[in-house]
Amino acid sequence: MGKDTMESVKKLFTTQSAKVDTNRGGEYYTDLYETCRKRLDELKALPVVNNKLDFQETIMDEGLDRRDFLKWASATTAMLMLPASFTPLVAEAAQVMNRIPVVWIELSDCAGNSEALLRSDGPKIDKIVLDIISLEFHETLQAAAGHQAEKQLEEAIELFKGKYLLFVEGAVPLGMDGQYGTIGAKAETFKDHLLRLANGAAAVIAVGSCATYGGIPAAAPNPTQSVGVMDVVSGKPIINIPACPANPSNMVGVVLHYVLTGKIPELDSLLRPKFAFGYRIHDNCERRAHFDAGEYVEEWGDNGAKNNFCLYKMGCKGPMTFNNCSIVRYNEAVNWPIGVGRGCIGCSEPDFWDKYAYERPMANANIKAPTGGVEKTVDEFGLALLTAAGIGIGIHAVASAVAGKKNSEKDA
Amino acid sequence: MKQESYKKVERMTVAMRSIHWANAAFMVVAVITGLYIGEPYYQTLIAEPAVQKYVMAWNRWWHFIAAIIFDVTSIVIAYLYFFSRFEKPYKKLIPNAHNLNEFGAVFLNLITLNRKKSFDSSHSDSFNTVYFTIFHLLLFFMLFTGLQLYVHGLESGISSIGAWWPWILHVGTDWTIPVTGGSLMDVRIAHHITMWLIIVWVAFHIYYQIWRTIFWEEGDLAIVVGGSKFVKDKK
Repeated sequence: MGKDTMESVKKLFTTQSAKVDTNRGGEYYTDLYETCRKRLDELKALPVVNNKLDFQETIMDEGLDRRDFLKWASATTAMLMLPASFTPLVAEAAQVMNRIPVVWIELSDCAGNSEALLRSDGPKIDKIVLDIISLEFHETLQAAAGHQAEKQLEEAIELFKGKYLLFVEGAVPLGMDGQYGTIGAKAETFKDHLLRLANGAAAVIAVGSCATYGGIPAAAPNPTQSVGVMDVVSGKPIINIPACPANPSNMVGVVLHYVLTGKIPELDSLLRPKFAFGYRIHDNCERRAHFDAGEYVEEWGDNGAKNNFCLYKMGCKGPMTFNNCSIVRYNEAVNWPIGVGRGCIGCSEPDFWDKYAYERPMANANIKAPTGGVEKTVDEFGLALLTAAGIGIGIHAVASAVAGKKNSEKDA
Repeated sequence: MKQESYKKVERMTVAMRSIHWANAAFMVVAVITGLYIGEPYYQTLIAEPAVQKYVMAWNRWWHFIAAIIFDVTSIVIAYLYFFSRFEKPYKKLIPNAHNLNEFGAVFLNLITLNRKKSFDSSHSDSFNTVYFTIFHLLLFFMLFTGLQLYVHGLESGISSIGAWWPWILHVGTDWTIPVTGGSLMDVRIAHHITMWLIIVWVAFHIYYQIWRTIFWEEGDLAIVVGGSKFVKDKK
């Protein structure tokens, strides 16, 4: 839950289900079209920020033609749940992405989300779109280092105050006054760093499970007391794009939506965009039929595994995980965890490392978590309680029988 | 031996007994199928084509049918707690002097192994009513966590009976997520552990009814079958 607990609770009771209304009526879309048209014209009039790459040229250089680009534009329009008439707008928005300054910071993380963005098999449109965004600051990717890098960051947040999108990758350690993670020569803690940069941002986008909920740094016993961005930052629009790593398609979707409409997309109660996290993995899984049939992989490499049976008994958490990876997949739609036969570990859900990623069915988990082992403890505790009740009953029954006898002896 | 005469007292109406046995039967169904859903503990024949098996789907079908029957009987019982024309159990839950004394007396009777029986055993006493209420609260918790888990599969926001159903499930059960710990898995864990609490509850319930029948010698077990028991007539 977010920082404003009361707000979150209110939201829980007013949520309209995860569903995105895919048809809001002609009038709504006509208005939205006008708004987007106006916004794109305004953006076009703006000077290019820093990234002078021309979109058309970049595409050509990578060996893709305009047809590929338009195919991508219509797929992305569908992903954002907009009517087909918005396709030209989406295409235009992609080309003016370099008008939106982006600052990307890394906190307690492994740079996995940056890697996901970079390590595609060949440059495809999603990646090119991310190439041409005006990335003003990115510790891992930029050439600058040390004081030079710090100067660049200071200049960027001063110059684009109130306009830049702040992408955050990694959790925020709060333990020991935040001293578990510091950055720069002045040893600014991650928390102060984040708060300072979020202050001047138009919106904060938490990328990956660590930035969203604390992720692996926040796993039990969480010695650094790590939390996600939404537990630290308040008073700014926050968008969470969880998963480990976050899917680049969803990052592009969020940025495009912002460029196009000037607003953040519709979010669920965990502040995740509904267009991406309104789906349960289980319901779009290619192995779903095997789940219903009761056909499960019993151990790695068995006949079931060879026949692509359901991975539920190997601990797949698709039934409890909301994400669109069973639809858009990873690495330019090449594959995804269940496709390679490994099951879902629920990486886009809160506390996934403790509560989802144990690779056993929910009734047979065997890892130590804050409560001292989650599901297995449940069963063992339950059985112990039942045994205790049974023993109690036994003692009482025997005692009653003996005492009862004495009573009747007395009566007799 | 002294001469004892017995008086017949009505304790459960036909409706109450029907609900009791429906609950008992479907609880067995819910536990058997629920454990399978938690971890499929038997294998299907691999040679059969998937389309003919549908084993998990049938387990889920029975689990949900049992659950929805529980949900409806829970509503009926909640209604009867306050508005029953036979006996209104809520009156036994009010912590007034009479109820507290009766609760204490029945509890004392139980732990002293029927040495001291200083209460009227002709009606459903306040100890028993509190114990049943604990069960209904556990069942209500199962109802809310279960429907929360159920609505995860209705993420399209539509259902065979209309969009109002998933909507009302979200409004009515989304609170179980923060209450149980913050993630969807916590709801599942809570649902799972509550099953064990209910099984423990049932173990004591069956034991206590049999114990009463043996030691009170008033035919208490007959209540749930024929609707009546006999109390010793004090003359």
